[in-house]
Parts: sequence; C-alpha cells; structure tokens
Amino acid sequence: MTNDLVIGMAGAGGDGVVSAGESLIAAAAEIGYHAILTKSFGPQIRGGESSCRLRLSTAPVLNPGAPLDVAVALNWDDFLRFGAELPVGGGTLVVYDSASGVAPDRLPLAGVVPAEAMAVPVAALAREAAGTEKAKNTVVLGLLAGWLGLPPGPILGGLRRKLARKAPEVLAGGERAFAAGLAYADAHPTREPRRLSPPPAGAGGKLLADGNEMCAAAAIFAGCEFFGGYPITPSTEIMQLLARDLWRYGGTVLQAEDEIAGLGAVVGASFAGKKAMTATSGPGLSLKTEMLGLATIAELPLVCVDVQRGGPSTGIPTKSEQSDLFQAVFSAHGDVVRPVLAPTSVADTFVTTVDAFNIAEEYQTPVLVLSDQEIAQRKETVDPIDTSRLAVVERLRPAAADLEDYARFRHTESGISPISHPGMPGGNYLAAGIEHNEKGAPTASGEVHARMNEKRLRKLDPLKQRSDLFDLEGPADAPLALVAWGSLAGTAREARRRAAAEGLKVKLLVPRLLYPVAETVYDAFFRSVQRGLVVEQSHQGQLFRLLRMFVDVPRGLERLARSGANPIRPDEVLGQLRQMAMALQRVHEDELQPQE
Amino acid sequence: MSTSPISFKAPAFRSELKPIWCPGCGDYGVVQALYRALAAVGRPPHEIAFVSGIGCSSRIPGYTTAYGFNTVHGRALPIAQGIKLASPELLVLVAGGDGDGFSIGGGHVAHAIRRNLDLTYIVMDNQIYGLTKGQLSPTSPRGLQSVTSPYGSIEDPVNPLLYVLAYGAGFVAQGTPADMSGLADVIEQAIRFPGFAFVNVQSPCVTFGAAEAQLRQHKAEMRKLADLGHDPSDRMAAMELAQEYGRSLHTGVYFRDPAPRPTYDAAVRERRAALGAAAPSRRQVLDRFRPKA
Repeated sequence: MTNDLVIGMAGAGGDGVVSAGESLIAAAAEIGYHAILTKSFGPQIRGGESSCRLRLSTAPVLNPGAPLDVAVALNWDDFLRFGAELPVGGGTLVVYDSASGVAPDRLPLAGVVPAEAMAVPVAALAREAAGTEKAKNTVVLGLLAGWLGLPPGPILGGLRRKLARKAPEVLAGGERAFAAGLAYADAHPTREPRRLSPPPAGAGGKLLADGNEMCAAAAIFAGCEFFGGYPITPSTEIMQLLARDLWRYGGTVLQAEDEIAGLGAVVGASFAGKKAMTATSGPGLSLKTEMLGLATIAELPLVCVDVQRGGPSTGIPTKSEQSDLFQAVFSAHGDVVRPVLAPTSVADTFVTTVDAFNIAEEYQTPVLVLSDQEIAQRKETVDPIDTSRLAVVERLRPAAADLEDYARFRHTESGISPISHPGMPGGNYLAAGIEHNEKGAPTASGEVHARMNEKRLRKLDPLKQRSDLFDLEGPADAPLALVAWGSLAGTAREARRRAAAEGLKVKLLVPRLLYPVAETVYDAFFRSVQRGLVVEQSHQGQLFRLLRMFVDVPRGLERLARSGANPIRPDEVLGQLRQMAMALQRVHEDELQPQE
Repeated sequence: MSTSPISFKAPAFRSELKPIWCPGCGDYGVVQALYRALAAVGRPPHEIAFVSGIGCSSRIPGYTTAYGFNTVHGRALPIAQGIKLASPELLVLVAGGDGDGFSIGGGHVAHAIRRNLDLTYIVMDNQIYGLTKGQLSPTSPRGLQSVTSPYGSIEDPVNPLLYVLAYGAGFVAQGTPADMSGLADVIEQAIRFPGFAFVNVQSPCVTFGAAEAQLRQHKAEMRKLADLGHDPSDRMAAMELAQEYGRSLHTGVYFRDPAPRPTYDAAVRERRAALGAAAPSRRQVLDRFRPKA
C-alpha cells in the first residue's frame, strides 16, 4: 500500500486520456483523496496529442509530483512527445496498448528501465465491450481502478453523469468497458502491489476546481459587479465562467474589442462606483499598461489578473512561466507603485483574489494578480474554505460632511480620500489622467505634483506590514532557506518538508505580496540565513533580482530559475539543499581548525 | 432618477475652471452649446458622466459641473461604455477631437456603434493637432502643409460622417459654432436619441487651423441640410450628402433612425433582471465546486 501515487497518461486527441483523468479526480474528491490534475496538449486546436498527470494522495498534495508511478501510453508516439512532462523512472509501472506491437522488454524509453511493463489489448477490449475504440479510456479507468484499488462506485457514478445525455447504449457500453478493464486487472495482477491506501475517514466531499474557476468565483464572492476583457490563453476561462454566472449576481460582462478597451471599460465601471475586474495574459498586460497608469493617478480600484505563460510576445501560450513579474512591477511610466499579488495554489487563488479586491478597494488602486498557467488550468481537490472568516472590504465613501465642500483627492493622514461616483449628489468632480489638485482641477504645479505622488505612494505603505500575505514555515533560526512564489511554492514546500525529514534545518518564505517589496519581512527572514535558493520558473530569476534591488539579501542566496515548460521538481530543489548543507558543514569544520 | 423635478438653467452646468483654449477657439462655442442642450434636457449635473480623451477639446468635461473623466488618448469610448454598463441610469456624454476619435482611438468607434449603447459622442473636428502645436491629423486635407508634413500631406483624410454612417450609427449630425442655436439643437437631439448618437462639430483651430476653415468662412459657406430638402430618415441619402465632407459644410441631422435599434444597455438591464431573479448569495459561490454525488 502506498499513500501517494502519480499517474501520467498520453494518447491521441480523440483517445480521451484527459477525460479519464477528470473522471478519476472527480472520484478522488468524492472519496476524499487529495489530488492535482494537470493537462498538457500539443499546439493543435483539435486532435493532436494530449496528456494528463494525476497525483493522488492521502495527505495534502503540493505539486504535480514526479516521476510517474504509473504511465499509460495509449500511443507511444504521442506519449514520447511529452518528454520531461511525463517522466518515467525505475519504479514506474508502464501500461500500454499491446496493439502497438512493442515488446515489454523493448519499450521506446531512452536511458530508463521501468519496474514493470503491462501490454494490455486496450483497443480490443474496448471494441469487444462497447463496440467502439472510443471506450479505450474507459477500459483504462477499469484497469487503474483494479490495480490501484480505487473504489469503482464513484468512478462509475461520474461516468453515468458524463454520459447521461447520450444514448442509453453508449452508457451501457461504457459500463461494460469499465468492467472489462477491471476484470483484466483482476486476472493480471501487477508484480509489485500498487494499491493506494484508503483516505482518512471523513475526508470525502472535497471541492474540485482549477485556478481560473477559483479566481472567477472569488471575484463573485468579493462583490465584483463588472468584468471587461478579451479572450487570451490561458486566462479565458475566467471570463467564460463570469460570462455565464456574473449576471445571476446582478453584474455585467463585456467582451471588449481589444485588451485596451477591456480594461478601459473596467476603469469606467470603477469610476461609476462598482467593483470591477479584467483578466489577461502577458501580451494583454503589455497593451493594458497605459490604462493601468490612468487607474493609478485617478485612484480607481480595480483588479487585473495576469495568468502568465511563456513569453516574450506569443511565446508558448499553453505552458506555464513566471516571467511577467518585471512587467507587473515596472511597466508604468511615472512614479508608480501598484500592488502585485500571486496565488500559490488553486485553493489559494480564492483567498488571494479576494485579497486583491480588498486591497484595491481599500487603497483605491489597481491591483495585479499574477497567476500562472500551471495553477490556472490544473484541477485540484480543495478542502472546504470557511468563507465566513474572509472579510469583504468596500471603498471609503464620502460622509455628508465630506460632501459639503467635496475634494475628491483630499490630503488625509492615510493618503486615502473618500471617493464619490456619478449619481451621488454633491460628489461631482473631475477625474483625470492629468495631474490634479485636491479638487480634481488640472495643474502643472511641481509642488502639487510632488504632494500627490507622495500621497499615492504613502497610502500603500501599510501593505508592507501585512504579514498575512506571507507564508512562513520551518525553524526561525534555520541557516538554510527557500523563497518561492506562485505555482513553484508547492514545489518548494514539498522539498523543504522532505529536507526537514532528513534532518536539514531549512525554512521557507512564500510571498503572496510581491510588490511593494516588504523589506522588513525579508530582513527578518534572512537574518539567520547563510545559504538559500529563490526557486522560480523564469530564465532570469525575476524575484531573485527584484529582492536584490530592495533587500540586503545574504551573500549565499542563489537562484534556481529556469525558463517555462521545463518543470522544476522537488527532487532537484532537495538535491541543491543537501549540497548547500554540506557546504555549510565544511565552512563550520574549517572554522574549527586551529589557526596558524 | 431619470428626470429631476428641479430645472437646471445653462449656467448650472458651467464649472469654475477657466478654459485653457486660445481666444477665438471653436471649442468655446461647443461648450456654450452644450450648456444650452443640457439645460433643455434637464438632467441634474450629478446624473451626468462626461468622458473625454486627450487633446484641446478633451478638456471640455472639466468646464462642466457634471462628473467628468478626462482619460487617456483615444480611449474615451471604452471607458464611457464601462460607465454606462455599470450604471445605465446615467446620462453619458463622450467628447474628443478628430485625432482622439479617428486616429489613435479609431478602432473603438465601430464597436461602440455596433453595440449601440445609449451614448452621445461629440467630436470637435479641427483637422489639425492643436495641443501638440500643429501636426497633421486624420481629417487634415490632402496636401496640407504642417510641421509633420512640411512638403504637404500625401494621404487622404478620414471622413468621420461616412465612417459612422457605414457602421450603422442611429443618429448622425454635424454642427459648427458659427451657428450656435443649430449646434445646441443637434446636441440636444443627439442626447435625446435612444442609442449611439454622433455629432461632428466643425470647430476651427484659430492658431494652427487653415485660414479658409475659420468661423467667418463657416458662416458664409454653411448650408443647412433641412434647407436642402434632406430627409433625415433616409440613410442612403445621408451617405450621399456625407460624401461632401471636406468640400462643403452641411449642418443639421444627416440621419436619425426612424425605428431605433434596441440599445445594449437596455439588453443588459433585461438580462440582469432575467438571470438575476434567483439572486443567489455570493457567500455560497463555492458550492458550485462540490462534486455531485
């Protein structure tokens, strides 16, 4: 029995491996396993190769895991196209269609001999049971349920829901295909047992969502009333969910003619007094830059989500990267600070997006949320979130006294001025991209400009004290450290826990607030640190460089950074931590040598 | 909220800000005509959102007592649409220059028209970039010598009237400050029109504009469309007359759709009412992610 299993499947576009993965994770959520499902496709719009990886565990899972415990290749050419995304190791059980004619001792895998290979007549079983090879994926579900010891009930239940609208003979065929896979697994047990331990009692009924869905749901929760945007991979699902559901909550969705107009409409809706959001990816954020500057100087709250993908330009639209940090932080003319947040998992996307709305409304500023394709499009089981503990913040409205001689941009101690909106009698003012005095009147006065810049920056200072926007784990006096953000936070968390289990003294800092840089949080964290790694998915190591700009980082802080679509796995982080620990040990021993 | 019992006279719409326009600028006439039109319509200033882009003319919201938004170059229309969709009960006005509307922001005009939000878009067309001191504009005539076309322009101008008619605008008119009552009248009609309404104002630039395009010439040359016997319900006739843009100065209403199309904002209100009837609690939003047993 094992507590943690990683399954990777690949096939041609019509083989339904992703659909099989979705059936399994839905069953897992119902049964009570923790799970992450990632999907990967070739560049084709339809057809072409597709794959998924599913990690199932009795304990919370932090990243998609590697290498595979079970690899399913419905078609070898398609499987091999995914390379490092479906890593086969010495412990892997490889399942493939015997129709491929490949001998179990001659698998087309370079440099690795898997633990076990099972050639199964998948297509033949599907034809026999359901009369169509379309049921191949259902045969695979039966095989996996059998070999891994997953309860068939929830998987079959999911299958029935999925096929409910099809002809009755399709469902009957599917049920027979599942049974055929199950029977085959019973008759052909694996050499090594692969069964997954049952989940703890009462763990069932988890939520199941991907990051984009969570982001959209959080917007609804936070009171968003307007979404304007333009379709762009991999953020489009946010707009799609809201286009279906925001209306039900009294909101409006506009698919604009371009990225600029999408954010423009959001700026307008915010001026009109409504909570508003847009979502995009790197190229869209480039186009939105000028409009974000307008929101900054007009002090209008809004949330702009950037689901990062490989860049620059079109880059790799379907794969994850963390290379938009510099753009998010620095793409503004003028003296601008705008808050940048990053979610660290699907579940955290909910909390972080709500935080983004709250910060936008409280400080009257655009807030950027830097999600990434990995989090945005992977499905995760999520333990129920206690939303009653989450505050929903509203912008500061003018009181009757404020409206007597209303000054929209009045200097206050906090730098935050009460904000009116059209329709409010007595609150009439001129909002503008042009510099303005407290009343909103345009000005070219250097003195007014300096005071207004100071106001717009000062009002954000309290953010740097928000320790709740940072996750810390490990002993406070650890000499070894990891810093990671976004989807890489899960990788770093797992590496740290494994390192701690080996006796290494290592701590981890995960910033959900990336900008403004909270110097005091980092100063306190780095005080004990002699060696450390900033783990991130970008060629330059953008967070590493940003920290060096604002913080006195320890000399021994390095980056483990790599371009997108080249996943960084916990093993690798752990390996580097071990080397760093050994180097520290050597330094320590050298210090103990008697001096000449 | 749509009408107010209190009547507002023209001065109620004039703000305390002193315009930065050059003495004699056509835009003074536009803002005066607008005060008159707004007084005639009678909505209180706080129920009006007035959005502009960048350019001399885009300063205009600040000279009114409405809620103003002087935005960025070319983007007044998307921002105005966001306002109107967020709060359909507001009267939303949009203004800008020829560069704002037909050069940097040209791409947005077609979409505002096809969506048909109930907006009034006033373009102060002076055929030159005045704020940046005399460069070629998208409506500058071919051959115009300017600081960026010192040997004469070698491109044809945009025809704003044909452009908006071709995209299906329900109300299209032209005015000039040389005829103040005519200008106030078309602006008022545009505001009252239920749907996207466009008013092109030939608003001369006294500093950088052509000598033959000043108010004195306008007075002498302008011809009222009504006097030409034009039927404003005839879109094809309107397009025929609009071809004369740049050659003759016609004023009045080119086209007023006799059967106005439904507006986007009305459709939005209906959809919100239809889909929002159940009004689920935002607090329960995560229930959608519970696996169905």
